Amino acid sequence: MDAKDIISSGLLELYAAGLTSAEESLQVQQYVQLYPEVAAELAAIEAGVEAFATAMPVTPAPEVKEKIFARINETAKPVPITAGNDIAPVVTISSRWKSAAAAAILLLVGSAAVNIYLYNRNNNMQAQLQQVQNTVASLQEKNKEMDTYLEAVRNRYSTPVSLSGLSPEAADATAKVYWIKNTGDVYVDASSLPAAPAGKQYELWAIVDGKPVNAGIIVQTPSGKTYQIQKMKAFGNAQAFAISLEKESATPADTPTEVYALGKM
Amino acid sequence: MEQVRKYSEEELVLLLQQKDQAAFSYLYDNYAAALNGVIFRLTEDYSLAEDILQEAFVKIWNNFASYDKTKGRLFTWMLNLTKNLTIDTLRSKGYKKQAKISGDENIVSNVQDSTTGVDKFDTVGLRKQLSGLKPEQRTIIEMAYFAGYTQDEISKTLDIPLGTVKTRMRTAILELRKHLQYT
Repeated sequence: MDAKDIISSGLLELYAAGLTSAEESLQVQQYVQLYPEVAAELAAIEAGVEAFATAMPVTPAPEVKEKIFARINETAKPVPITAGNDIAPVVTISSRWKSAAAAAILLLVGSAAVNIYLYNRNNNMQAQLQQVQNTVASLQEKNKEMDTYLEAVRNRYSTPVSLSGLSPEAADATAKVYWIKNTGDVYVDASSLPAAPAGKQYELWAIVDGKPVNAGIIVQTPSGKTYQIQKMKAFGNAQAFAISLEKESATPADTPTEVYALGKM
Repeated sequence: MEQVRKYSEEELVLLLQQKDQAAFSYLYDNYAAALNGVIFRLTEDYSLAEDILQEAFVKIWNNFASYDKTKGRLFTWMLNLTKNLTIDTLRSKGYKKQAKISGDENIVSNVQDSTTGVDKFDTVGLRKQLSGLKPEQRTIIEMAYFAGYTQDEISKTLDIPLGTVKTRMRTAILELRKHLQYT
Protein backbone atom coordinates (compact mmCIF):
# COMPACT_ATOMS: atom_id res chain seq x y z
CA MET A 1 0.00 0.00 0.00
CA ASP A 2 1.38 3.37 -0.89
CA ALA A 3 0.50 6.64 0.82
CA LYS A 4 -2.30 7.45 -1.65
CA ASP A 5 -4.03 4.11 -1.16
CA ILE A 6 -3.78 4.42 2.60
CA ILE A 7 -5.26 7.91 2.52
CA SER A 8 -8.16 7.01 0.23
CA SER A 9 -8.98 3.75 2.03
CA GLY A 10 -10.79 5.43 4.93
CA LEU A 11 -8.60 3.59 7.42
CA LEU A 12 -7.31 6.87 8.88
CA GLU A 13 -10.87 8.10 9.55
CA LEU A 14 -11.62 4.87 11.42
CA TYR A 15 -8.37 5.14 13.35
CA ALA A 16 -9.11 8.70 14.49
CA ALA A 17 -12.47 7.48 15.80
CA GLY A 18 -10.74 4.68 17.73
CA LEU A 19 -12.60 2.10 15.66
CA THR A 20 -9.63 0.18 14.31
CA SER A 21 -8.43 -3.14 15.70
CA ALA A 22 -5.17 -3.18 17.66
CA GLU A 23 -3.47 -4.62 14.61
CA GLU A 24 -4.86 -1.97 12.27
CA SER A 25 -3.93 0.77 14.73
CA LEU A 26 -0.34 -0.42 14.80
CA GLN A 27 -0.36 -0.44 11.03
CA VAL A 28 -1.63 3.12 10.88
CA GLN A 29 1.02 4.22 13.35
CA GLN A 30 3.65 2.66 11.10
CA TYR A 31 2.21 4.38 8.02
CA VAL A 32 2.23 7.69 9.86
CA GLN A 33 5.91 7.27 10.67
CA LEU A 34 6.67 6.16 7.13
CA TYR A 35 4.74 8.66 5.03
CA PRO A 36 4.57 12.36 5.90
CA GLU A 37 1.49 12.68 3.63
CA VAL A 38 -0.32 10.09 5.74
CA ALA A 39 0.65 11.91 8.94
CA ALA A 40 -0.62 15.20 7.48
CA GLU A 41 -3.88 13.60 6.36
CA LEU A 42 -4.49 12.07 9.79
CA ALA A 43 -3.80 15.43 11.46
CA ALA A 44 -6.29 17.11 9.10
CA ILE A 45 -8.95 14.50 9.88
CA GLU A 46 -8.40 14.97 13.61
CA ALA A 47 -8.52 18.74 13.25
CA GLY A 48 -11.83 18.37 11.43
CA VAL A 49 -13.29 16.24 14.20
CA GLU A 50 -12.01 18.71 16.77
CA ALA A 51 -13.68 21.58 14.92
CA PHE A 52 -16.90 19.61 14.76
CA ALA A 53 -16.85 19.10 18.53
CA THR A 54 -15.87 22.68 19.15
CA ALA A 55 -18.85 23.86 17.18
CA MET A 56 -21.21 22.26 19.69
CA PRO A 57 -19.95 23.22 23.13
CA VAL A 58 -21.88 22.92 26.34
CA THR A 59 -20.15 25.09 28.88
CA PRO A 60 -20.05 23.34 32.24
CA ALA A 61 -20.78 25.10 35.53
CA PRO A 62 -17.77 26.89 37.05
CA GLU A 63 -17.78 24.55 40.08
CA VAL A 64 -16.75 21.67 37.86
CA LYS A 65 -13.30 23.14 37.31
CA GLU A 66 -12.95 23.85 41.03
CA LYS A 67 -13.89 20.27 41.87
CA ILE A 68 -11.41 18.89 39.38
CA PHE A 69 -8.59 20.99 40.78
CA ALA A 70 -9.53 20.02 44.32
CA ARG A 71 -9.39 16.38 43.25
CA ILE A 72 -6.01 16.55 41.53
CA ASN A 73 -4.56 18.30 44.56
CA GLU A 74 -5.56 15.51 46.92
CA THR A 75 -2.32 13.89 45.92
CA ALA A 76 -2.09 11.40 48.75
CA LYS A 77 -5.52 9.92 48.26
CA PRO A 78 -6.22 7.43 45.52
CA VAL A 79 -8.62 8.67 42.90
CA PRO A 80 -12.07 7.23 43.57
CA ILE A 81 -14.02 6.12 40.58
CA THR A 82 -17.52 7.30 41.12
CA ALA A 83 -18.85 7.23 37.62
CA GLY A 84 -19.15 3.47 37.45
CA ASN A 85 -18.07 0.63 39.63
CA ASP A 86 -17.41 -1.69 36.76
CA ILE A 87 -14.82 0.53 35.19
CA ALA A 88 -11.58 -1.30 35.35
CA PRO A 89 -8.73 0.92 36.53
CA VAL A 90 -6.51 1.73 33.62
CA VAL A 91 -2.90 1.08 34.36
CA THR A 92 -0.83 2.76 31.76
CA ILE A 93 2.85 2.77 31.23
CA SER A 94 4.18 5.71 29.30
CA SER A 95 6.24 5.00 26.22
CA ARG A 96 9.08 6.80 27.94
CA TRP A 97 9.04 4.24 30.75
CA LYS A 98 8.62 1.45 28.24
CA SER A 99 11.75 2.54 26.44
CA ALA A 100 13.49 3.04 29.77
CA ALA A 101 12.56 -0.53 30.72
CA ALA A 102 13.72 -1.79 27.33
CA ALA A 103 16.98 0.09 27.76
CA ALA A 104 17.40 -1.34 31.27
CA ILE A 105 16.83 -4.87 30.00
CA LEU A 106 19.30 -4.29 27.18
CA LEU A 107 21.82 -2.96 29.68
CA LEU A 108 21.29 -5.96 31.94
CA VAL A 109 21.71 -8.44 29.10
CA GLY A 110 24.72 -6.52 27.85
CA SER A 111 26.30 -6.42 31.28
CA ALA A 112 25.67 -10.15 31.75
CA ALA A 113 27.37 -10.81 28.42
CA VAL A 114 30.32 -8.64 29.44
CA ASN A 115 30.49 -10.46 32.78
CA ILE A 116 30.52 -13.85 31.11
CA TYR A 117 33.14 -12.61 28.70
CA LEU A 118 35.29 -11.18 31.52
CA TYR A 119 34.81 -14.30 33.63
CA ASN A 120 35.98 -16.51 30.76
CA ARG A 121 38.83 -14.17 30.03
CA ASN A 122 39.84 -14.20 33.66
CA ASN A 123 39.83 -18.00 33.65
CA ASN A 124 41.91 -17.96 30.49
CA MET A 125 44.35 -15.50 31.98
CA GLN A 126 44.69 -17.62 35.11
CA ALA A 127 45.40 -20.69 33.00
CA GLN A 128 47.92 -18.69 31.00
CA LEU A 129 49.49 -17.38 34.19
CA GLN A 130 49.78 -20.92 35.55
CA GLN A 131 51.46 -21.95 32.31
CA VAL A 132 53.90 -19.07 32.51
CA GLN A 133 54.66 -19.88 36.13
CA ASN A 134 55.32 -23.51 35.21
CA THR A 135 57.60 -22.41 32.40
CA VAL A 136 59.44 -20.05 34.73
CA ALA A 137 59.84 -22.79 37.32
CA SER A 138 61.22 -25.24 34.77
CA LEU A 139 63.52 -22.59 33.35
CA GLN A 140 64.76 -21.78 36.82
CA GLU A 141 65.47 -25.44 37.43
CA LYS A 142 67.29 -25.69 34.12
CA ASN A 143 69.20 -22.56 34.95
CA LYS A 144 70.26 -24.06 38.26
CA GLU A 145 71.45 -27.23 36.51
CA MET A 146 73.32 -25.12 34.01
CA ASP A 147 74.94 -23.10 36.77
CA THR A 148 76.11 -26.32 38.39
CA TYR A 149 77.38 -27.58 35.05
CA LEU A 150 79.20 -24.35 34.27
CA GLU A 151 80.66 -24.30 37.76
CA ALA A 152 82.05 -27.79 37.18
CA VAL A 153 83.29 -27.13 33.65
CA ARG A 154 84.62 -23.59 33.93
CA ASN A 155 86.24 -23.93 37.26
CA ARG A 156 89.92 -23.40 36.58
CA TYR A 157 90.76 -26.30 38.85
CA SER A 158 88.34 -28.57 37.01
CA THR A 159 89.81 -31.75 35.59
CA PRO A 160 87.55 -33.50 33.13
CA VAL A 161 87.63 -37.28 32.94
CA SER A 162 85.96 -39.08 30.06
CA LEU A 163 84.47 -42.46 30.82
CA SER A 164 83.81 -44.94 28.00
CA GLY A 165 81.81 -48.10 27.92
CA LEU A 166 83.78 -51.27 28.44
CA SER A 167 81.59 -53.93 26.82
CA PRO A 168 80.95 -53.85 23.04
CA GLU A 169 77.25 -53.08 23.69
CA ALA A 170 78.24 -50.14 25.82
CA ALA A 171 80.87 -48.83 23.38
CA ASP A 172 78.83 -45.69 22.62
CA ALA A 173 78.03 -44.99 26.24
CA THR A 174 80.00 -42.11 27.61
CA ALA A 175 79.92 -40.05 30.74
CA LYS A 176 82.01 -37.19 31.99
CA VAL A 177 83.36 -36.63 35.42
CA TYR A 178 84.67 -33.26 36.48
CA TRP A 179 87.03 -33.40 39.41
CA ILE A 180 87.78 -30.07 41.03
CA LYS A 181 91.36 -30.41 42.11
CA ASN A 182 91.54 -27.87 44.92
CA THR A 183 88.28 -28.85 46.63
CA GLY A 184 88.06 -32.48 45.63
CA ASP A 185 84.44 -31.97 44.47
CA VAL A 186 83.26 -34.48 41.92
CA TYR A 187 80.56 -33.82 39.31
CA VAL A 188 79.21 -36.36 36.89
CA ASP A 189 77.49 -35.60 33.61
CA ALA A 190 75.53 -38.74 32.80
CA SER A 191 73.46 -37.29 29.96
CA SER A 192 75.05 -39.55 27.36
CA LEU A 193 74.50 -42.72 29.35
CA PRO A 194 71.69 -44.96 28.12
CA ALA A 195 68.89 -45.52 30.58
CA ALA A 196 69.81 -48.18 33.11
CA PRO A 197 68.14 -51.59 32.54
CA ALA A 198 65.03 -52.21 34.60
CA GLY A 199 65.84 -52.94 38.24
CA LYS A 200 69.34 -51.57 37.85
CA GLN A 201 71.02 -48.23 38.64
CA TYR A 202 74.35 -46.63 37.82
CA GLU A 203 76.78 -45.89 40.60
CA LEU A 204 80.00 -43.87 40.43
CA TRP A 205 83.28 -45.09 41.85
CA ALA A 206 86.56 -43.36 42.43
CA ILE A 207 89.63 -45.51 42.19
CA VAL A 208 91.75 -44.42 45.10
CA ASP A 209 95.08 -46.21 45.59
CA GLY A 210 93.90 -49.05 43.32
CA LYS A 211 90.68 -49.59 45.28
CA PRO A 212 87.20 -48.56 44.19
CA VAL A 213 85.39 -46.25 46.61
CA ASN A 214 81.70 -45.59 46.07
CA ALA A 215 81.03 -41.98 45.02
CA GLY A 216 77.26 -42.23 45.06
CA ILE A 217 74.21 -43.28 43.06
CA ILE A 218 73.80 -41.55 39.72
CA VAL A 219 70.24 -40.28 39.53
CA GLN A 220 69.03 -40.57 36.00
CA THR A 221 66.48 -37.90 35.24
CA PRO A 222 63.98 -38.29 32.44
CA SER A 223 65.50 -37.78 29.02
CA GLY A 224 65.17 -34.41 27.29
CA LYS A 225 67.14 -32.57 29.91
CA THR A 226 70.14 -30.86 28.48
CA TYR A 227 72.22 -30.75 31.62
CA GLN A 228 72.24 -33.84 33.73
CA ILE A 229 75.00 -32.95 36.05
CA GLN A 230 75.14 -34.21 39.56
CA LYS A 231 77.43 -33.47 42.44
CA MET A 232 78.92 -36.62 43.92
CA LYS A 233 81.10 -37.33 46.96
CA ALA A 234 84.36 -35.41 47.16
CA PHE A 235 87.72 -37.05 46.85
CA GLY A 236 91.05 -35.51 47.71
CA ASN A 237 92.80 -37.93 45.47
CA ALA A 238 91.75 -40.39 42.74
CA GLN A 239 93.46 -42.09 39.83
CA ALA A 240 90.41 -43.09 37.88
CA PHE A 241 86.64 -43.04 37.88
CA ALA A 242 84.31 -45.88 37.04
CA ILE A 243 80.60 -46.41 36.60
CA SER A 244 79.04 -49.72 37.55
CA LEU A 245 75.59 -51.18 37.19
CA GLU A 246 74.13 -52.23 40.51
CA LYS A 247 70.85 -53.66 41.69
CA GLU A 248 68.38 -50.87 42.34
CA SER A 249 68.72 -49.81 45.97
CA ALA A 250 68.57 -46.75 48.17
CA THR A 251 72.03 -47.45 49.60
CA PRO A 252 75.18 -47.52 47.48
CA ALA A 253 76.97 -50.84 47.03
CA ASP A 254 80.22 -51.59 48.86
CA THR A 255 81.96 -53.10 45.88
CA PRO A 256 81.19 -52.73 42.19
CA THR A 257 79.51 -55.80 40.70
CA GLU A 258 79.55 -54.96 36.99
CA VAL A 259 81.85 -52.15 35.83
CA TYR A 260 80.18 -50.45 32.91
CA ALA A 261 82.47 -47.60 32.02
CA LEU A 262 85.90 -46.45 33.04
CA GLY A 263 88.08 -43.38 32.63
CA LYS A 264 91.50 -42.56 33.90
CA MET A 265 92.74 -39.16 35.03
CA MET B 1 -10.90 28.88 14.03
CA GLU B 2 -10.06 31.84 16.16
CA GLN B 3 -8.92 30.22 19.32
CA VAL B 4 -6.88 32.28 21.68
CA ARG B 5 -3.80 30.14 21.91
CA LYS B 6 -1.45 30.63 24.75
CA TYR B 7 0.41 27.39 24.26
CA SER B 8 1.22 25.38 21.18
CA GLU B 9 -0.01 21.81 21.40
CA GLU B 10 3.57 20.66 21.83
CA GLU B 11 4.21 23.03 24.73
CA LEU B 12 0.94 22.04 26.32
CA VAL B 13 1.79 18.35 26.13
CA LEU B 14 5.25 18.93 27.53
CA LEU B 15 3.91 20.96 30.45
CA LEU B 16 1.15 18.47 31.20
CA GLN B 17 3.67 15.66 31.26
CA GLN B 18 5.40 17.68 33.97
CA LYS B 19 2.09 18.04 35.83
CA ASP B 20 1.90 21.78 35.28
CA GLN B 21 -1.41 22.97 36.76
CA ALA B 22 -1.45 26.23 34.81
CA ALA B 23 -1.26 24.23 31.58
CA PHE B 24 -4.02 21.98 32.87
CA SER B 25 -6.15 25.01 33.63
CA TYR B 26 -5.58 26.21 30.06
CA LEU B 27 -6.49 22.77 28.76
CA TYR B 28 -9.72 22.83 30.71
CA ASP B 29 -10.65 26.34 29.58
CA ASN B 30 -10.09 25.37 25.96
CA TYR B 31 -11.60 21.92 25.78
CA ALA B 32 -14.04 21.43 28.67
CA ALA B 33 -17.01 22.92 26.80
CA ALA B 34 -16.39 20.87 23.66
CA LEU B 35 -15.99 17.65 25.67
CA ASN B 36 -18.96 18.48 27.85
CA GLY B 37 -20.93 18.93 24.64
CA VAL B 38 -19.89 15.47 23.52
CA ILE B 39 -20.92 13.99 26.89
CA PHE B 40 -24.17 15.91 26.96
CA ARG B 41 -25.25 14.72 23.55
CA LEU B 42 -24.81 11.14 24.80
CA THR B 43 -26.37 11.56 28.24
CA GLU B 44 -28.88 14.33 27.63
CA ASP B 45 -28.42 15.18 31.29
CA TYR B 46 -26.53 18.33 32.30
CA SER B 47 -25.70 17.20 35.81
CA LEU B 48 -24.58 13.70 34.78
CA ALA B 49 -22.56 15.22 31.97
CA GLU B 50 -20.71 17.45 34.41
CA ASP B 51 -20.00 14.50 36.71
CA ILE B 52 -18.54 12.57 33.83
CA LEU B 53 -16.62 15.62 32.65
CA GLN B 54 -15.09 15.89 36.09
CA GLU B 55 -14.04 12.24 35.97
CA ALA B 56 -12.69 12.67 32.47
CA PHE B 57 -10.46 15.58 33.41
CA VAL B 58 -9.18 13.87 36.55
CA LYS B 59 -8.36 10.88 34.37
CA ILE B 60 -6.65 13.10 31.79
CA TRP B 61 -4.52 14.57 34.56
CA ASN B 62 -3.68 11.27 36.19
CA ASN B 63 -3.11 9.29 33.01
CA PHE B 64 -1.43 11.97 31.00
CA ALA B 65 1.72 9.88 30.78
CA SER B 66 -0.18 7.43 28.60
CA TYR B 67 -0.80 10.07 25.95
CA ASP B 68 1.54 9.37 23.05
CA LYS B 69 1.69 12.23 20.60
CA THR B 70 2.99 9.95 17.85
CA LYS B 71 -0.39 8.21 17.91
CA GLY B 72 -2.50 11.28 17.35
CA ARG B 73 -3.53 14.74 18.43
CA LEU B 74 -4.15 15.61 22.03
CA PHE B 75 -7.81 16.38 21.42
CA THR B 76 -8.39 13.00 19.76
CA TRP B 77 -6.93 11.26 22.80
CA MET B 78 -9.08 13.31 25.20
CA LEU B 79 -12.14 12.81 23.02
CA ASN B 80 -11.74 9.03 22.90
CA LEU B 81 -11.04 8.87 26.64
CA THR B 82 -14.12 10.99 27.39
CA LYS B 83 -16.30 9.10 24.95
CA ASN B 84 -15.34 5.70 26.39
CA LEU B 85 -15.82 6.93 29.95
CA THR B 86 -19.29 8.25 29.07
CA ILE B 87 -20.32 5.03 27.35
CA ASP B 88 -19.03 2.93 30.26
CA THR B 89 -20.86 5.13 32.75
CA LEU B 90 -24.10 4.93 30.81
CA ARG B 91 -23.74 1.18 30.50
CA SER B 92 -23.15 0.76 34.24
CA LYS B 93 -26.25 2.85 34.88
CA GLY B 94 -28.30 0.63 32.60
CA TYR B 95 -28.58 3.03 29.72
CA LYS B 96 -28.74 1.53 26.33
CA LYS B 97 -26.99 2.97 23.41
CA GLN B 98 -29.82 4.57 21.54
CA ALA B 99 -30.11 6.53 18.45
CA LYS B 100 -29.82 9.78 20.27
CA ILE B 101 -28.27 10.82 17.10
CA SER B 102 -30.85 12.55 15.11
CA GLY B 103 -30.13 13.04 11.54
CA ASP B 104 -31.67 16.39 12.03
CA GLU B 105 -29.51 19.06 10.53
CA ASN B 106 -30.52 21.29 13.41
CA ILE B 107 -28.70 19.11 15.87
CA VAL B 108 -26.01 21.70 16.12
CA SER B 109 -28.38 24.52 16.93
CA ASN B 110 -30.56 22.24 19.09
CA VAL B 111 -27.87 22.13 21.70
CA GLN B 112 -28.10 25.20 23.82
CA ASP B 113 -24.74 26.68 24.41
CA SER B 114 -24.88 27.66 28.01
CA THR B 115 -21.74 29.66 27.78
CA THR B 116 -21.54 31.94 30.75
CA GLY B 117 -18.08 33.39 30.42
CA VAL B 118 -16.14 34.61 27.49
CA ASP B 119 -16.58 32.45 24.44
CA LYS B 120 -13.11 31.48 23.49
CA PHE B 121 -14.07 30.00 20.18
CA ASP B 122 -15.90 31.38 17.30
CA THR B 123 -18.50 28.67 17.73
CA VAL B 124 -21.04 30.63 15.80
CA GLY B 125 -18.72 30.84 12.83
CA LEU B 126 -17.94 27.14 13.08
CA ARG B 127 -21.60 26.26 13.17
CA LYS B 128 -22.21 28.29 10.12
CA GLN B 129 -19.45 26.45 8.34
CA LEU B 130 -20.76 23.06 9.38
CA SER B 131 -24.34 23.82 8.53
CA GLY B 132 -23.52 22.93 4.95
CA LEU B 133 -22.92 19.30 5.90
CA LYS B 134 -25.52 16.83 4.71
CA PRO B 135 -27.57 15.26 7.54
CA GLU B 136 -26.35 11.74 6.76
CA GLN B 137 -22.77 12.96 6.85
CA ARG B 138 -23.34 14.68 10.15
CA THR B 139 -24.94 11.49 11.47
CA ILE B 140 -22.09 9.18 10.55
CA ILE B 141 -19.55 11.59 12.06
CA GLU B 142 -21.59 11.78 15.28
CA MET B 143 -21.91 8.01 15.47
CA ALA B 144 -18.26 7.18 14.80
CA TYR B 145 -16.49 9.98 16.60
CA PHE B 146 -18.78 11.00 19.41
CA ALA B 147 -21.22 8.19 20.18
CA GLY B 148 -18.86 5.22 20.21
CA TYR B 149 -20.64 3.19 17.56
CA THR B 150 -18.62 0.33 16.16
CA GLN B 151 -18.32 -0.18 12.41
CA ASP B 152 -20.79 -3.03 12.74
CA GLU B 153 -23.30 -0.90 14.66
CA ILE B 154 -23.00 1.90 12.13
CA SER B 155 -23.56 -0.57 9.31
CA LYS B 156 -26.71 -1.96 11.00
CA THR B 157 -28.11 1.38 12.14
CA LEU B 158 -27.65 3.05 8.78
CA ASP B 159 -28.46 -0.15 6.92
CA ILE B 160 -25.38 0.04 4.74
CA PRO B 161 -22.87 -2.76 4.00
CA LEU B 162 -20.01 -3.02 6.49
CA GLY B 163 -17.46 -2.38 3.77
CA THR B 164 -19.14 0.90 2.91
CA VAL B 165 -18.78 2.37 6.44
CA LYS B 166 -15.15 3.27 5.84
CA THR B 167 -15.78 5.05 2.56
CA ARG B 168 -18.84 6.86 3.90
CA MET B 169 -16.82 8.09 6.82
CA ARG B 170 -14.08 9.25 4.48
CA THR B 171 -16.56 11.16 2.33
CA ALA B 172 -18.19 12.77 5.36
CA ILE B 173 -14.89 13.89 6.86
CA LEU B 174 -13.71 15.22 3.50
CA GLU B 175 -16.90 17.23 3.26
CA LEU B 176 -16.44 18.48 6.81
CA ARG B 177 -12.90 19.60 6.01
CA LYS B 178 -14.06 21.30 2.84
CA HIS B 179 -16.59 23.36 4.79
CA LEU B 180 -14.03 24.30 7.37
CA GLN B 181 -11.73 25.55 4.68
CA TYR B 182 -13.94 27.39 2.30
CA THR B 183 -16.80 28.89 4.21
